[in-house]
Amino acid sequence: MDNSTYKFGVKLFITNPGAKPLKDFIPVFHGWIQRQGVPGHLLIDVHDYSHVHHGPGILLVSHEANLSIDETEGRRGLVYLRKQPADLAGTIAAAQAVAKKLTEEQGVQFDTPHYEVSVNDRLANVTAAQVAAATGGNVALKSGDPRERQTFVVKR
Amino acid sequence: MTWKAKLASQIPADLATEIDVFETQIDLRKLGKIDEKLFAETRLRRGAYGQRYDNAQRFDGFQTQQLKFPSAPLTKGPDTAWDAPGMMRIKIPFGGLTARQLEVLADTAEEYSDGILHITTRQDFQLHFVHIEDTPNLMRRLAAVGITTREACGNSVRNVTACPLSGICRTEAFDVTPYAKALTYFLLGHPDTQDFGRKFKPAFSGCEDEACGLVNMHDFGGIAQVRNGQRGFKLYVGGGLGAVPYQAKLFADFMPVEELLPTAQAIARVFARLGEKQNRARARIKFLVDKLGIEEFKRLVGEERKTLPPDPRWTQFPVVEEKPLKPASALNGHRPEGFDAWLTTNVYRQRQAGFATVTVYCPIGDITSTQARHLGDLMRRYSGDNARTSVEQNLLIRWVSESDLPALFTDLKAIGLGEQGAGTILDITACPGTDTCKLGIASSRGLARELRSQLASKFFTLDEAVKGLRIKMSGCFNSCGQHHLADIGFYGNSRTINNRKVPHFQVLLGGRWRNNGGSYGLAIGSVPSKNIPQVVARITERFVKERTAAESLQDFYARIGKAESRKMIEDLMIVPAYEKDPSFYSDWGDPREFSMGDIGMGECAGEVISALQFELGAAERMNFEAQLAHEAGAFAKADQLAYDSMLQAARGLVHEQWLDVPADLATIVKEFKARFATLFQPALAAYLFRRFESAPVATAEATHRLIEEAQLFIEGAHTCGDKLQQQKAAERAAILKK
Repeated sequence: MDNSTYKFGVKLFITNPGAKPLKDFIPVFHGWIQRQGVPGHLLIDVHDYSHVHHGPGILLVSHEANLSIDETEGRRGLVYLRKQPADLAGTIAAAQAVAKKLTEEQGVQFDTPHYEVSVNDRLANVTAAQVAAATGGNVALKSGDPRERQTFVVKR
Repeated sequence: MTWKAKLASQIPADLATEIDVFETQIDLRKLGKIDEKLFAETRLRRGAYGQRYDNAQRFDGFQTQQLKFPSAPLTKGPDTAWDAPGMMRIKIPFGGLTARQLEVLADTAEEYSDGILHITTRQDFQLHFVHIEDTPNLMRRLAAVGITTREACGNSVRNVTACPLSGICRTEAFDVTPYAKALTYFLLGHPDTQDFGRKFKPAFSGCEDEACGLVNMHDFGGIAQVRNGQRGFKLYVGGGLGAVPYQAKLFADFMPVEELLPTAQAIARVFARLGEKQNRARARIKFLVDKLGIEEFKRLVGEERKTLPPDPRWTQFPVVEEKPLKPASALNGHRPEGFDAWLTTNVYRQRQAGFATVTVYCPIGDITSTQARHLGDLMRRYSGDNARTSVEQNLLIRWVSESDLPALFTDLKAIGLGEQGAGTILDITACPGTDTCKLGIASSRGLARELRSQLASKFFTLDEAVKGLRIKMSGCFNSCGQHHLADIGFYGNSRTINNRKVPHFQVLLGGRWRNNGGSYGLAIGSVPSKNIPQVVARITERFVKERTAAESLQDFYARIGKAESRKMIEDLMIVPAYEKDPSFYSDWGDPREFSMGDIGMGECAGEVISALQFELGAAERMNFEAQLAHEAGAFAKADQLAYDSMLQAARGLVHEQWLDVPADLATIVKEFKARFATLFQPALAAYLFRRFESAPVATAEATHRLIEEAQLFIEGAHTCGDKLQQQKAAERAAILKK
């Protein structure tokens, strides 16, 4: 990873998924759009993918990033997927800010020491050490299907 | 590393050049060097479509917000913000897909969209929330695996659809796949298809009685026939849904396959020459056929056919050979739980004994990238590269050896795609509606989700006659959800109750899916969206209770009559006061108070940009590239580009009068001189003649002058083009008047 920026994604896992049904996030996100309530983001629309198995769940589209209450692998979490390139530290900070907002406003709890970082660009070649430099803690490349996005597991 | 560099050896040269040109056009638009209308139609013809809220306005439930995109006021079309997320439509001719293509589609959905692949009602894929500047790389990655987005939108020949059972169907006359493929690539980018006033949708069907290719609702459609051992098509023209649906007219009872492509070409020429260009609501070929009458239309096409120079591609039908991965076998052994129900609805026994085709039921056409990759794996494990998308928004895996069916079912279940109900009342078709479409009035996907959820919970208790019904819905009257062809169809509309808008759906009964979309349903009344589940329950319950043996819903509806049908739902048409039940005043899955304020201008029709305008646009791009070359000191290159830009403009003008104009420059200059001696300003024409007759001078001063002259020549071509268009309009009016 050089000094250029990438389209990173961050998934922060929700520890109390039963506390709020998936579709209940639809009005939450609409409310955020009404207030344009995520600083640094132009919030555009909400999309319901609750009918899709292990999919993006409920999606909040912004110009800068896609935010979703994501169900991938059957594990609910907040996914913050950067669309406009940014550095990793900035991307993680933005994701954590959204998580904090969900905790404060909706009581959603996150497993903050453990999260995943993905590289949403198959041309990029990022190493665990490079991710660790931005995140701290232990970072390991997630094993699995090599066709999936390069993903790192972070444990702080 | 860039995708352009990485994939350079994998993309066909002509396609690579086209995508490079499009990337340059994006740059030129950003510099204000291309008019927004021309750019809009250019991107549409590359498959890059507008999406809801791209006018930078969105009603948030209380007020309309201005979305402050960073690149404002830059636009990618009239009233279309540059940064606004858009949709990418990806053509999949006849729905045919390989595992590798599915994997690349999955990657692009993740990196440029939202990780969802949406299968459309025309066997395409759509990706949503795509930024215009990502589209060239997206196109390159698809092109590297043989997929093009070219002419997926705009006033062009859209995806050529075909029955997804072609080649394995038990009732087809023959496999239409080679003919669908041949027509696709023959018409793709063909000069005779570049000057339409609206889109043109072809379809093929292997047999007459089934739904198959839905030929009756297409602009151009063929039903396979064999006569005296010869293959041919029963050819139809001028069908279409839309706000006012037309059944296609029989063009030829039997058209030998050798005449299929030239006839399509001749039809394209007649449509381009005589089709409406100003009034987009009347510009589909169905209106032209209706106005001329089918006999006169046939006569004109016949005359045009005689003028076509022979083309060897007319009879070059590709061999589309699908090879099963495993030998035929019989279904045997352990049957997992749920398998038998799935077998009943999702498996089709092929005409080739021992093989089956599995319909993977994709809820409202959506699958995730991860599911798509796994589907690719399952294709490789059980079928080979033998999958097709369907107009019912599903994916079919063909050539499965029957003994593998239980294992395939188990594997599909593991990725959440093992649901039963394909082709049943659960398998609801819905267009994007208000989720992403600029024209959507009501939430067709929201309603589909709700209906599906309610019906799934009682599916096992439903009468068999009800299980087999089809529900289709569109977010507006434009019929993308093909609601006219459903047993029970809906399209979104709105009613005002005490100054508040209420989402409604018009209910249509009596449509016929079989017989290639044999008849269209008729509206019986508009019902508030929140009451639609009750409408379905009421209609189906009464149908079960009162139907005579083997009576279809269409026959039942015809028997009880429209008035009685309406009576069934009349009380459900009443909207409670807002104070009593405000839920009626918002749509399914959308808590905002309902509004019509988000409806924008549709891009379905595209901008009406003539073929000449495209040619002149290309000439201007070349001239700009000449300027860049001059700036870089590449004077020989600048000279050539400036000269080429004049030739391009001249060729465009000649093409207006002579459709078969060859590419050699001597002929172009000669014909230009002969045809436009009086219509084109002589002083400007002289710039071309002078450069044609002299050797290139690659100096800074000479090339600078030539670039200036070329720009003036292009201006002259625009003026001349306007005069030509006036002449053509007068000629067209005279023919139609006759």
